[in-house]
Amino acid sequence: MSKIGTIMKREFLTRVRTKGFIIGTLAMPLVIVILTGAPALLMSLKSEKPKKISVVDETGRLFSSLRAALNDTAKGGIRIYRLAQVEVPPGELSQVRRELTKGVQKGRIDGYLIIPADVFEENQAQFYARNVSNFQVNEDLQGAVSKVVSHFRLSRSGLDPEKVKKLVKGVNLRTFKVTGKGREEEDVGGTFMITYILVFFLYISLMIYGVQVMRGVIEEKRSRVVEMIVSAAKPFHLMAGKVLGVGGVGLAQFLIWALLVGGLSFYGKNLISSLAGQLGPFPVPHIPVSLLLFFVLFFLLGYFLYATLYAGVGAMVNSDEDAQHLQMPLVGLLVIPFMLMFYIIGNPNSGIATLLSFFPFFTPIIMFMRIAVQTPPLWQVLVSIVLLGFSIAAMIWVVSRIYRVGILMYGKRPSLPELVKWFRYG
Amino acid sequence: MEQLTLRGVSKSFGSLQAVNELDLSVGEGCIYGLLGPNGAGKTTTIRMIMDILAPDQGEIRILGQPNSSRVRDRVGYLPEERGLYRKMKVGHLLLFLAELKGVKKTTAKERIDYWLERFDLLGWSQKKIEELSRGMQQKLQFIVSFLHSPKLVILDEPFTGLDPVNINLVKEVMLEEKRKGTSIILSTHLMEQAEKLCDQICLINEGEKVLDGGLNEIKANYGKNTVVLEYEGQADFLTDKEVVESYDDYGKWVEIHPSPGINPQAILKRASQEVTIFKFELVEPSLNEIFIQTVQKGKE
Repeated sequence: MSKIGTIMKREFLTRVRTKGFIIGTLAMPLVIVILTGAPALLMSLKSEKPKKISVVDETGRLFSSLRAALNDTAKGGIRIYRLAQVEVPPGELSQVRRELTKGVQKGRIDGYLIIPADVFEENQAQFYARNVSNFQVNEDLQGAVSKVVSHFRLSRSGLDPEKVKKLVKGVNLRTFKVTGKGREEEDVGGTFMITYILVFFLYISLMIYGVQVMRGVIEEKRSRVVEMIVSAAKPFHLMAGKVLGVGGVGLAQFLIWALLVGGLSFYGKNLISSLAGQLGPFPVPHIPVSLLLFFVLFFLLGYFLYATLYAGVGAMVNSDEDAQHLQMPLVGLLVIPFMLMFYIIGNPNSGIATLLSFFPFFTPIIMFMRIAVQTPPLWQVLVSIVLLGFSIAAMIWVVSRIYRVGILMYGKRPSLPELVKWFRYG
Repeated sequence: MEQLTLRGVSKSFGSLQAVNELDLSVGEGCIYGLLGPNGAGKTTTIRMIMDILAPDQGEIRILGQPNSSRVRDRVGYLPEERGLYRKMKVGHLLLFLAELKGVKKTTAKERIDYWLERFDLLGWSQKKIEELSRGMQQKLQFIVSFLHSPKLVILDEPFTGLDPVNINLVKEVMLEEKRKGTSIILSTHLMEQAEKLCDQICLINEGEKVLDGGLNEIKANYGKNTVVLEYEGQADFLTDKEVVESYDDYGKWVEIHPSPGINPQAILKRASQEVTIFKFELVEPSLNEIFIQTVQKGKE
């Protein structure tokens, strides 16, 4: 037992002492913040520079209301859109357009908008500009033109646009989550976001730490140090110590992150709200502690299952290239439940979701998804954990026998019959 | 007390009989040569002693006890396949390997300092293994096999890759430890080294023991009837089975084992007809010669 401890300590310390661990641990939350915050940040960054746009209004009736509709202002109170009406003498549209195109080319104006006389029937307008990929501008123009055109049509039919707007106003659906304890909490997509982030973390962590175990085994084989270690400790001790030590690194990383997030939410509330104030409404979701405990539980169970398998892959190969091939099935087993996420979140208690969450290789990710979205019956959680537990024990039994033989085999990758032989030897 | 006993130990890999019914017994405070050509079964035997491989049959006792993880903590091992964790610092690595052998941290640190100094590596404790030269890494592995003050040490080809200065250092340390009462098993196919260092030997070939015992007795058994010649010229008589049973020729120096009933003087007479002789000497046969003879006898 003390040998497992010694090996575990080495695996843990050699990894935690590296610069990579320190940088990775600190950089990961930053990446998450940037990834989640970036779209909101970009949305809020409306183009500061005013856009000069010429308008050819062939209907002769829409320009003033269009200007009123596009009265968005940037921070300094400057109007974003500066519209100028261009008068077109009859029959000279093409002449005027040539002039305007030249203006766009030379940069005198940013673009020009043509509202044809038949816009009320054909529903078409044209916008010409050097850059028509600024979706914000396109959207604003389309919205404004649609609005003034439909308002005009309504007035023409003798209806009051404001009244119509009130009459056809949509209904806002607020969502409330009924928790297991019967409480009702308003949920504006927070559950989805939390589930998504945690599942993503779970999936990435299982893969990363599994691969670390595999690389460790390959490194020991390649450097031949394994011969010395197994002369002092049983191969099983080596495997167990390695799996536990690397798992400890994972837990340490989660703990640091939890402390960072906890510290931030205690002492950094002002910071967050000041940031959030600038970014517009930014939901700071509340994560239930029980969910975090389930996260740790399913990480550990999933990790033991996959790290054992990855250790087996490492023992079978002699190079990272060989390992690439052999680990594909494992990657598949991890990716499939992740890809099923939208279905599972949508239908957490469907028969398929329940069945999939009982399949031990999928249990860590799928059962966790189900718990995060809508707590399943307790018996289902327990059954899935028991099944997973048995699978872990079975995998450890199978893999340790292959591992024992494999770590001392320096030749080429074994065929399936050879693998069976290794299993029998072990 | 016997430090290591093997009784009827066998191991086969598929159809290959790697070790067959091997008996060994190693006494206290001696250097024991486990000798034989490449592929004779030396490393397989050692791996069974260290429980890296399980014997198919037979019994292994270490320091008078059945083979167990506990008793193996008092055995040192230098594997033929050398390797260390490249990314670890020297000090950390040695501490880890000592702790793995059950040494307490404080004791381990003292011993690490002692051995690093003994091998002139004291300034390297904070360096990573990959920064060390090959020779230094070899010395480090040698240290590992002595770090936990073992009663029995198994060295598998300890001299490969070492320069003459370090070979000397390793030899010195082996003799020092032997005087302290440690038994050392030296596994090698280099007979010359073994001949000078070993008190007892066991010759194995194709998995079977062909000869064992005290080196001096073995040599005495063969008697001083081996001829060493230093010469120049074409020594055709060497291939004459009537006169020469076996020989080990280096072109200018040859060791000759005369055929039964042939007087060494007859060899001298015959040789002087064919080559110029600078030196003629009657000696005990070399280990190499004994090995060749024994193996050849086994084949007939």
